[in-house]
Amino acid sequence: MFHSVSKAIVVAALVTAAAAVSADDPKCSATARECDQQIRQMLSGRRFFGAIVEDTKPGLVIKQITAKSPADAAGLKNGDRLIAINNKSLTQASAKEYKQVLADARETGKLWIIVWRRGAYKKFEARLEPYSKEQIEKIISAHLAHSHTTTAGAQ
Amino acid sequence: MFDAILAKLSAVSRRGGRPDRVSILLPFLIISIGLGALAWRSYHLSTNMERGASALAGQYAGYAAEITARRVDAAVRAEMSRATEEWQQVERRGAEPTFVALRDWVTGHGWIVSAIYVPDDDPASSVYAAEAPALKKNAQRLTREFFTSTGTIRYTYDPQRLLAAQHNAIRQQPLVRKPDRGALAIQQPADVTLVSSVRAEGMEKLDDAFAFTARLGAPLDAFGIRAVVRTSYVGGRGWQNQRVVSLWVSLLALILTGIGAVLALRGLQKESETMKLRAALIANVSHELRTPLAMIRLGAETLKHPKLNEKERRDIEDQILREVLLLSHLVENVLDVARIQNDSAKALAFTPVHPRELIRNLVSTYESWIHSKGFTVSLHLDDAVGEQMWDRDSVSRALLNLIDNAIKYSSEDKAIDVVLRQTETDVVIEVRDRGIGIDAKDAAKIFDPYYRARFSDTTTRRGAGLGLTLVQQILASHGGRVEVDSVPGAGSTFRLLFPRGLSGAPDEVPSLANAREAF
Repeated sequence: MFHSVSKAIVVAALVTAAAAVSADDPKCSATARECDQQIRQMLSGRRFFGAIVEDTKPGLVIKQITAKSPADAAGLKNGDRLIAINNKSLTQASAKEYKQVLADARETGKLWIIVWRRGAYKKFEARLEPYSKEQIEKIISAHLAHSHTTTAGAQ
Repeated sequence: MFDAILAKLSAVSRRGGRPDRVSILLPFLIISIGLGALAWRSYHLSTNMERGASALAGQYAGYAAEITARRVDAAVRAEMSRATEEWQQVERRGAEPTFVALRDWVTGHGWIVSAIYVPDDDPASSVYAAEAPALKKNAQRLTREFFTSTGTIRYTYDPQRLLAAQHNAIRQQPLVRKPDRGALAIQQPADVTLVSSVRAEGMEKLDDAFAFTARLGAPLDAFGIRAVVRTSYVGGRGWQNQRVVSLWVSLLALILTGIGAVLALRGLQKESETMKLRAALIANVSHELRTPLAMIRLGAETLKHPKLNEKERRDIEDQILREVLLLSHLVENVLDVARIQNDSAKALAFTPVHPRELIRNLVSTYESWIHSKGFTVSLHLDDAVGEQMWDRDSVSRALLNLIDNAIKYSSEDKAIDVVLRQTETDVVIEVRDRGIGIDAKDAAKIFDPYYRARFSDTTTRRGAGLGLTLVQQILASHGGRVEVDSVPGAGSTFRLLFPRGLSGAPDEVPSLANAREAF
């Protein structure tokens, strides 16, 4: 399966490379296959939630929900104030701490979220998802298109 | 108890007589005990020193490893936060983090291998960058991530390279500026190295050193810092080990003391024997002198008696003459010995002497004395023996001493043979008696001064114990020697061997004084 995927990537790279790569851009010296593996490895695990928060100092407010994301599915909305996730209080937290909580939940992917919405606490359950195939392939092809020459790709 | 020992010791030193074995061995025993105490102390000290040095070296190794490990931890943390900080500056500067910026960031830090930037708003527009050269299959990789204001950076790095960049931290700072190794006896500074796989954490004792391995903090906890401190006191083999050296030295001291004790014992025994012999000599000589003097006095008093007939008078005169001869012989002997002992012997007067005449004269001079003892002397003189360069007086005295001995140590058979003959090299004078003979164990000692063979009836026999000593010295001064053949109970043969043809070189003949030195 990996094999066919990388083949597709190489083809995509060949198609897009000539147009996208400008002459003076530094090149990635690793082979396309290695980069492919490396990117998949680094993106492994359940990490995608889809809610972007704004740091209101103190406190965190959701400012953007990605459509069809786990956050969207759970029912979170813009303007929700984050009170706690997985027993960790976030009323005084910064955006970094929010990301850390999500990173810590990477293994199980389970999230219990309490938000403050219009004067009431609301509880949500959500599951982090792995990055979708489309997302990963988009990242890989962007990398290959941007930093691999045709010769490196053809190898 | 100590008083008793002191009393015993002072009694020993006051006593003039022969010291007994204990009194000589006791001081050495005390010295040995002292040496033993010193040796024990020295051993104790060196073990203590070894223990102390070991503890010191071990602790030093531990501190060196632990401190260095924490320094490396701090340096690694600082390096990582510097990298984080740099990326955040990139984000602050530019609006959108691009591949180029990420690539520059990765290559700017030699230890970072690859990095991916995931923006919060759209994970699908993540950027990935890897540095050259291509990844190795077995290369160790660690992953780390940090959060920026707009997204997350996740990067892999090579811990070996990261630690290699911290070589300044992996260096033991010396505690003492100019360590004096001889005084400290442990190594300064410690050998500090980075180990990539920690097998044994903590203290480890090597042959001549202590090693301590301290683990680095997470995430580099596969790595450790190992400090090795050498010390000359730990586990040295043979002469390098102070403990062994002190044992050997004390053993040597004890052996030397033992040898000293044996030598002192032997020397003192010899000395005391000589003292005893001298005392015996004085007693003997005074006894020897008294007897003939008494006889002379008795004779002289009798001569004063008016009613003596002619024959009686002649007998008494003969007796007086005999005793005077004996007395003068004795006095000569004593004087000679005194002369020898004072190193003031007169040079011998070597003159041509006919041995036959010398023997005949001597025997005829002392004939009446010999007969008075009931002895007969038979002469067997070889006429072929020619003139010799001898000191007449001393040779006569030697011969007379032998005859005197033959008479003194006689048995029932009162016959003495005097033989003069010559061999190819020597002129030989033999005096044979049929007396009590000499034991083999005494044969070697009879020429020692003051020595008298320890017969059961020594006390009944007269003599100073100087006769044979003198004989031997006289013969030595003539370049000759004395031989003895003896069968206990059957008689002895004393043989004087003078080298022939000595007449040519009288000057080379050693004097009695030289003979004494040789003796």
